[in-house]
Amino acid sequence: MERNTMSVESYNDFQALPEGCIATALSLTSPKDACRLSVVNPTFRSAAESDAVWERFLPPDYRDIILRSVDGYDSVLAKFRSKKELYFHLCDNPIIIDGGNKSFSLDKGTGKKCFMLAARDLLIVWGDTPEYWRWIPYPESRFPEVAELLDVCWFEIRGKINTSMLSSGTTYAAYLVFTSKSGIYGFEYQPAEATVGISGQDGVKRTVCLDPDGEQRHRYQIVPRRIFFNHRLAHIYRRRGDLASERITEYPKVRADKWMEVGLGEFYVDGEQNLDMEISLTETKGGNWKNGVVIQGIEIRPKAE
Amino acid sequence: MSSSTELTEKKVFLLKSLDGVIFEVEESVAVQLEVIRELIEGDCARPFISLYNVTSEILALVIEYCKHHAETCSGGTSATIADEDLKTFDNEFMNVDENILLELCSAADYLDIKSLFELTCRTLASLIKDRTIIEVRKMFNVENDFSVVEEKAVRKEFAWAFK
Repeated sequence: MERNTMSVESYNDFQALPEGCIATALSLTSPKDACRLSVVNPTFRSAAESDAVWERFLPPDYRDIILRSVDGYDSVLAKFRSKKELYFHLCDNPIIIDGGNKSFSLDKGTGKKCFMLAARDLLIVWGDTPEYWRWIPYPESRFPEVAELLDVCWFEIRGKINTSMLSSGTTYAAYLVFTSKSGIYGFEYQPAEATVGISGQDGVKRTVCLDPDGEQRHRYQIVPRRIFFNHRLAHIYRRRGDLASERITEYPKVRADKWMEVGLGEFYVDGEQNLDMEISLTETKGGNWKNGVVIQGIEIRPKAE
Repeated sequence: MSSSTELTEKKVFLLKSLDGVIFEVEESVAVQLEVIRELIEGDCARPFISLYNVTSEILALVIEYCKHHAETCSGGTSATIADEDLKTFDNEFMNVDENILLELCSAADYLDIKSLFELTCRTLASLIKDRTIIEVRKMFNVENDFSVVEEKAVRKEFAWAFK
C-alpha cells in the first residue's frame, strides 16, 4: 500500500484564503476598489500592493507607449520600484510621447488610457500665418509649445485619434484645454461648433462657448446680441432644428491644473474597432475677429461615470 | 463507452479528501488538476493521492467541475457550442454559498486548476466590488488586525478611493 500512496502537502492554514487568491480577486476589480479594500486587513493590504495586481491594472500595451516617451523607456521605468508606483506616477504625471506631440496618462480610478493631443498635433487653419496664430513656449504647458490666437475670423481646429490607441469598452470624452493671457474676445456673439465623429463621416455636433464668462452671461441673459431674430425667422430655424441655441451649450470649466477645458463631444470605443475619430471646433459663421485663446491641446479621457 | 474492456480500460486515480472520503476519477479528469498532471508527467503519480487541504464537500464540487470541462472539451461538439455550454455551466456552478465559493477558490489555487481559479476569483471580485469594508471582513471571516495608526495611514493613502 505504501508504494501506491502519496499526498499533496498543504502549504498553509486551511481556514484562511491565500493571499494569492485575494490578489487575483482584487486584480479583477478596479484600481479604485483595490485601494479601498486595502483597509480590510493587512493581508488585503499586502495583496493590493503586489505587482501582479498592478500589472493587470496597467493597460496591456503600456510598455509600447512608454517606448514612445521623449525621456526614453529606461529613464521612465528606472524611477519605479513597483508596478503600483508606476501606475500612480502615470496617473498624476502625464508622460510626453511622439516627439512632444502627445501626452499619455492613466485615469486613476479605472486605469484607462488618456491622451492629450498637443496644439502642434492639431490641424489649425491659418496656424502657420504669424499674423493670425503664434507658437510660443508656455511654462504652464506640459508641451514645448502652445498656439496663441492673435486674430482670425475663420477659427477652425481639428484633431485625430485612432480608437486602437484607447481602452476598449469605454465612453471617451474630448475636451479643448485652453487658457488666455488677457481675455478671450470675439466668441461672445456667436457660439463655436464642436463635432466628434468617425473621420470622413458626419459627426455629432455640439454648441460650445469659449468665453470664460459665457455661462454667467447666459444665465442672466446678458448675451450680447448682434443679430436680431424676429419671431418668424426664429420659428423657421427652430423647425429646421439647426438653431444653435436649441442644443445644450457647453461652457468652460477650470481644471485642477488651472487650465480651462470645454467638452467637445463623446464617443464609445469598442474592442474590435480601428477607426480614426476626428474632433473639430469651428467658429466661422460670425465673420468677426476673434483672439486671445491659448491652446494647449485636446484631451481625450474616459467620461466620468 | 465500449464494452470491450482491454482496449478501453481507463486509468483511474483515487483522491482522498481531508475528511477521508475517497473519490475515484478517470485520468482525463485528474489531469485537470495541475498538481496531479505534473505528477503524472514526472511519472511519479501513485494511484492513491491524499489531498489534505480539501474537504469531501469541496472535492466533490471540484470533481464535478473538472468532469464537465473534460467531457465538454473532448466531445464532438464544435468549439462555439462547447464554449456556450461551459459558460452556462460555469454560471450555474458559481451559484453557491459564499463560504463554499471561498473554499472552492482556495482549492482551485491549491490543486492548481487555472480555469476554476480564474472563475472563482472573478466571482469573488464581483461580490466584493460594491461591498463596504465591514461587509468584506465578515464575508472573508477576517479580523481587522491593523493597529489604529496603521489603519489611519492606509485610509489616508487611499483617501481618493473612498470618495
